[in-house]
Formats: sequence, C-alpha cells, structure tokens
Amino acid sequence: MSFETVMKKTRLAAFADGELSPEEAAEVVMHLADHPEDQAYVDALMVASETLAEAFSGPMNEPVPKAIEQAILGNGPTAQIVPFRRRPAVWVGTALAASVAAALVAVPLAFSPNPSGDDLAVGLVKPGSYLARTLDTLPSGTPETVGEGREVMILATLPVDGGYCREIEVIDQTADRIDLGVACRRNAGWNVEVTLSEPLSATGTEDGFVAASGAEVQGLQPFLDRLGTGVALDPVSEADAIAKGWSR
Amino acid sequence: MTDRFRQDLVATVPKLRRFALSLTGNAADADDLVQSACVKALKNAEQFREGTRMDSWMYRIIQTLWIDDRRRAKTRGAAIDPEDAGLSDGGKSARLPEDRMMLGLARKAMATLPEKQRAALSLVAIEGLSYKETAQVLDVPVGTVMSRLARAREALMPQLGLTKGALQ
Repeated sequence: MSFETVMKKTRLAAFADGELSPEEAAEVVMHLADHPEDQAYVDALMVASETLAEAFSGPMNEPVPKAIEQAILGNGPTAQIVPFRRRPAVWVGTALAASVAAALVAVPLAFSPNPSGDDLAVGLVKPGSYLARTLDTLPSGTPETVGEGREVMILATLPVDGGYCREIEVIDQTADRIDLGVACRRNAGWNVEVTLSEPLSATGTEDGFVAASGAEVQGLQPFLDRLGTGVALDPVSEADAIAKGWSR
Repeated sequence: MTDRFRQDLVATVPKLRRFALSLTGNAADADDLVQSACVKALKNAEQFREGTRMDSWMYRIIQTLWIDDRRRAKTRGAAIDPEDAGLSDGGKSARLPEDRMMLGLARKAMATLPEKQRAALSLVAIEGLSYKETAQVLDVPVGTVMSRLARAREALMPQLGLTKGALQ
C-alpha cells in the first residue's frame, strides 16, 4: 500500500533531505507530531536514503584503483587512457561511415530546407540567416519550433582554442529524422564543421531532445575530441558569451 | 595544471566511484566511467574555477558522459549484476542477513529507475548534495530535481518494502 500523506510529499521530502530552513523544519516537526501517517512517510524516506547510501558505499572504503590514480597523476604506462567505451559505427550520410576515424571530414548532408530557406550543411553559415541567428542567440536547451513537426535546439556550447563550437540539433518528426551539426566560430561568423543524421525512431530519446550536454548521434564524439572542445559551458557562462557576441 | 589539482582529483575518486556505481550498477563500468571523466577533467582543467566544489564539477562530467553513453548504446533497463554490484564489500557492511537483502534490493531497484531519476536520487540521497547543487550538476531547474526525486522515490520505496502497511 503506498503512502497517502496530508502534507505534500515534496514538502516532506524536502524536510527529510534537509532542504528546509530551521523555521520551516520546525513547522513540519509540529505537523508530524499530529500526523503519524506523514511521520511514517518521512521515516520511510530516511530509511530509503540510508539504505541507498549503504548499498553503494563500497568504493568509499577502497583504495583508489591504480589505473585511475595513474591516469590522474600521469605516471605509469596507463596514463594513456582509452575512451570510455568503444562506440559503434553510425550511419552518417553514405560516405562518412567508412572514414569516420580517419579525419575530420566535411560531409554535406541531404537536409531538407526549412521554411526560411536555411540548410544545416557543412560550410560557412550565411550571415543574417535563421541558422546564424540561432547560433548567435539561442541558449542551450531551449527548443524552438521552425515549422510543422520541426524543432531546433542548441545542445551545448563548447569552448575551443580561439572560439566556441555549438552543437545544434534539428528534429523533424514528419520525416522521422534527427540531424545534428557542430558549428564553430573562431573569428567572425559560424562555420558548420560536421553534420550527422539518423532516423528519429532509432534514437530512443525520452522527450524529443537529448541532454544539453551531449550529442545524440553516435560517432560525433570523435569529431568533438578532434576539435579539442572543452566541457560544455554552464548557462551563466554561455549567456555571458552570447552577450559579448562570442568574442573571447 | 597544478599538482594540487591532480591531488584534489585523486581525493575525490572514492566519491566519484560511488556515484558512478549508483549510475551504472556494476563496478567495472563505474571505474571505466570515472577514468574517462578524470581524463576529460584533466584536459579541461582550466575550466575548473578555484574555490568551487570539485566533486560537483566531476559529478557533472560523469553524469554527462554516462547519459551520452547510455543514449549512444541505445540500451534500456537494468544492466546491473547484483553480485558484481556487491563486489566492493561483498555485502559485509551489512551486519544482518536482512540488511544484506535490503542492500541487494536497493541496488536492483536503483537500476530499474530511468536515468534522469537515478542521477537525481543518487546525488541527493547518496552524495548528499542539496537540491540547488543537484540542479546545477544536472543543468535543470530545482523544481525538476524535486519532481524527479518524487517519481524516483515513488517507484523505489515499494521495491524496498517501504510501504504504508510495512511501517505501521
């Protein structure tokens, strides 16, 4: 039988998680004294948290694995680390799959134009175009509808030497297609460095878009690594970069 | 990059491995994930701001790598091996058989949660981050953290036997 509480469960959870101010917590304590069913829920929350902490506590009592320590400290032969996991090949147009590891290849993408006439295609982004404006001003994680069944979103902004790169994603529900591009700006203007694509139905996204931090299409990471991109900017840093017109 | 940065990073590894274990459900993948995150952190050390929490910065990197990998792998559901997950201490940290059973249930239950809920619950319940810190790591509003926590707990608590009747 699941819990039914008088006070909102999120409030009780905030209490159990230590999120409330002393005054707020005191109010909850007084409430709990008169509502045993809510007290039982708080007790269960605390038991669950303690159990989880215990269940995964093993690493806290173990020495740092040698491979990880050497990777950090830089001594020993294991300092050269292989990628987290081998990434399978991905359908990238038709020409790229065979040469995905060879070089940063510019691949024109058969991307149907959006209503404003812009293409997400490798090469210089036309100044003043919809794509240029999107890259200039749209914050990461903000989906924008650009036509029936089509949405654009910037996934992340990544610093590179002398400028920035932005991952841009276009989802076309009608065409069952997801397109991803990386556009970089080092001096003036954006240049789309690479584009990838796959059927939307194959991506398994939960809510239509991938996380702001990541690339959905398999195989993009080697290009980002090759570009030397850093960790994605946090929202504040990104807003600052937008406000400064991407000058570094 | 300073030696201090590297030493601080080594010092956070136990917590990073705990977080990674709660996400991946098995020790080998957890260590792969932590190692990749450390390499990424070293490459981008100049982005770390002195005076901020290194563990939170690393949680963010780990979570990002893990979500990316999960989506690329197109895998869903539990990859957890309860025996493997328990390898770290062999369940010795639990004194009683029922405690060990409870810990096994917790590992299994965690693996059944959707990734976003799992990450939020791990950061709050295991790593002890505040809602605000968790929101920063996951790059979502605090309200989203709260709703993910609520859904995660609704799913998890019955699996642990924590029901209204059980506590009465």
